[in-house]
Amino acid sequence: MTKYIIRRLLGIIPTLLVIITISFFIVRVAPGGPFDGERALPEVVKRNIEAKYHMNDPLIVQYGRYMFDVLRGDLGPSYRYKDHDVNFYIFQSLPNSMILGVIAISISILFGITSGMLAAVRQNTWVDYLSMALAVIGISVPLFVIGPVLQYIFAMKLQWLPTSGWFTAGGGIKTIILPALTLAFADFATIARLTRSSMLETLRSDYIRTAKAKGMKSSAIIFKHSMKGAMLPIVSYLGPAFAGIITGSVVVEQVFRIPGLGKFFVQSSFNRDYTLIVGVVIVYSVILVIMNFIVDIVYSLLDPRITYK
Amino acid sequence: MKPFSKKKSLETTNEFNQVIVGNSLTKDAWRRLKKNKMAVLSVIIVSIYILLAALAPILPIYPYDEIILDHQHLKPSFTKSSGELLLEKRMADLFTQAWRQGRLELTPEEDDMLWAWIDKSEANKVWEYMFQRGSEMVEAGAYTFSSAEQRNLDNLAKKLKTDLQITVNRVWHTVEETGEKENVEKLPVDQIVALYAHMIGSTVEIEQEQYMREIAQQRLKIIQTQNAEMSAEDHQLLLATEMDTMSEREKDRLVKENVMAKIKTRAKEIANTDLKAAAGDESATFPLNKEIAIQDTLSADIKATKMHDRRYYLGTDHQGRDMLSRIIYGGQVSIAIGFIGTITSVFIGIILGSLAGYLGGKVDYFIMRVVDIMYGLPYMLLVIIAMAIFGRNILNLFFALAIISWLTISRMVRGQIMSLKNQEFIEAARSMGAPTWRIIFRHLVPNSLSVIIVFSTLRIPSFIMTESFLSFLGLGVQAPYASWGSLVGDAVGGMTLYPWKLFFPAATMTIFLFAMNFLGDGLRDAFDPQSKNQL
Repeated sequence: MTKYIIRRLLGIIPTLLVIITISFFIVRVAPGGPFDGERALPEVVKRNIEAKYHMNDPLIVQYGRYMFDVLRGDLGPSYRYKDHDVNFYIFQSLPNSMILGVIAISISILFGITSGMLAAVRQNTWVDYLSMALAVIGISVPLFVIGPVLQYIFAMKLQWLPTSGWFTAGGGIKTIILPALTLAFADFATIARLTRSSMLETLRSDYIRTAKAKGMKSSAIIFKHSMKGAMLPIVSYLGPAFAGIITGSVVVEQVFRIPGLGKFFVQSSFNRDYTLIVGVVIVYSVILVIMNFIVDIVYSLLDPRITYK
Repeated sequence: MKPFSKKKSLETTNEFNQVIVGNSLTKDAWRRLKKNKMAVLSVIIVSIYILLAALAPILPIYPYDEIILDHQHLKPSFTKSSGELLLEKRMADLFTQAWRQGRLELTPEEDDMLWAWIDKSEANKVWEYMFQRGSEMVEAGAYTFSSAEQRNLDNLAKKLKTDLQITVNRVWHTVEETGEKENVEKLPVDQIVALYAHMIGSTVEIEQEQYMREIAQQRLKIIQTQNAEMSAEDHQLLLATEMDTMSEREKDRLVKENVMAKIKTRAKEIANTDLKAAAGDESATFPLNKEIAIQDTLSADIKATKMHDRRYYLGTDHQGRDMLSRIIYGGQVSIAIGFIGTITSVFIGIILGSLAGYLGGKVDYFIMRVVDIMYGLPYMLLVIIAMAIFGRNILNLFFALAIISWLTISRMVRGQIMSLKNQEFIEAARSMGAPTWRIIFRHLVPNSLSVIIVFSTLRIPSFIMTESFLSFLGLGVQAPYASWGSLVGDAVGGMTLYPWKLFFPAATMTIFLFAMNFLGDGLRDAFDPQSKNQL
């Protein structure tokens, strides 16, 4: 087991290196240097600035320095905002996105598994049809349609919830509900469909029939026997689910005006603040890679059929 | 499968001498698909969408990029023309004003209701109600407009009736000696310039110089917007080099465009003054096609329509553009990107996946490691970066999407090929000395085509979603072009006041995505009946 974990950890390294390398070259290739302002700088000033940021070194030296800095956790200065460096801005907005993401993924797992199991156990009843209809909506309708529509119905027409805002900005705890629901919808849909199909499969398997023949209570069969087997595909889906949550939060934060990393990301991509965008991508990639790693480990722990070599 | 199905002579009969007809996999799948009602409906819906998108240029709809500032945010209406809507809006305004000033009295309950709407900032409801109620009161004689208001309304009504929109189809030049008419646009540049110079009483030399100056100015504007980060001196420098290197033909083309635009503007002015009176006293019927004289030898074919006779079935946007045509043209962009993008990514995926699957060994290891690593990337964010850096246009968007979306298909094709490559028919092909590429592309790929088709169909909606996602953020398709995503993105701001701007593009898109998903599911069930009830 330990060996397996170490091997997986080593497998993370090339991914991270690729990400950092791509980031570095994107910033270098990007047209328009960081310090090209409205008016041309005098040659001397330009040279001094370049010397300060080590931009006149050979490319390979710059690359090495960048790699070293990033591995140390320093994402460099922001090209647009002069007051602080990239780290400051990222760690200011990251918690907001994390809270939103964690709540959303919890909702989608909780409701997805519940409705998927209900649909499977009560196959071909209204429960089944309702939850699958919801799931089809979740898969077909993009986030940026669901978000505004929920906003329109619950915030503007019914006025139950605030349209936008965030609790750290004094909006109250209610502000989380709509964005979290929006973000959870797509993953809820996939998890519900996955749970239903894998539940149906397990319910037909021999060991469940044996359990039934032994006269076990059906609740015990569902929760103790089938659920464990049915959870495997869902665990393996969690990796892509995290990626989806990260991408989705970019839109959701935009729609609901949440001061999170995603909104920041879009803003800085309009500002051409390359170091900031690249910093955000690196942070997101690290989160994603770690999540994938955890999912893999959990998967191998859950499934006794997998052997670790 | 393939080698045998073509030979008719292999017909087999059963013991009662009945011919046994073997069904091919595709035929079987098609039969199953036709039984699936949702899938058939989806096929119909998708075909309608594609047809509409393809025929957009010849459909009788207004141009999608025509800005009419008078028609900003008109609500959708089947029965009323834009002029009537505008007049209604003004009347509702006047009624509301009168109510707030106390000149128009309503019951206390109505007052409360209206104030509640105002508190919720639902101006639309207030206007609608005030118009309804006010018109009733006017009819019943309970309220009359003040003379100033009445004058205001009359003026507006007159303006709405007489505002014309004129398009110049062709400009003619009559040759004096023969009386023959020739199309001015087809004449050489010098002659057009001479005609125009004669028309405004100037000389050819002055005009020529004037045009070059104007062209330089236009180019400068373009250069400035394209290179916003450069300094003014650099702009001038770029302009100078561009003007120097410009070919004679290019210059002529630009001059011609400029002069023609000027002649057409003049024709429009003349037509406008000529026809305005006719429009006012309704002595002419519109739309009107007419030839009008510009100057002694010049005349123009024009088409005049009453601008406020337009009907917007799905309303207009913030620049007075017709939502219906924007949705159709937006669909064109979205659907095209969905289909072409999918085809490209499937193509890349097939090539790399089949190479990895068939060759195995180091090639396989390398390709699959690349796929693994790319899977770990938050690719959507990388696409956003690419769009931010390399410019936001459709082509870049398309490339960025195609590059990242071949991963899953290549994995799938690899799996298929690996399971097929040890079968007898491949063995046979190999023993007959078929080259590798032939085995891959003539034997292996065609045999995994069903899986590929199913996957591609399910891929299209996600491609469209990704494109729309980027356009929604403002990083995809740029105005004046539209895509479903950018239309929804534009609408989010004014949702309460102009719900139709959100509703129609969102609904159009949702229906299409639904249909594509059902079609994909249907195809999958048809090709692989055992997969039913699975994800």
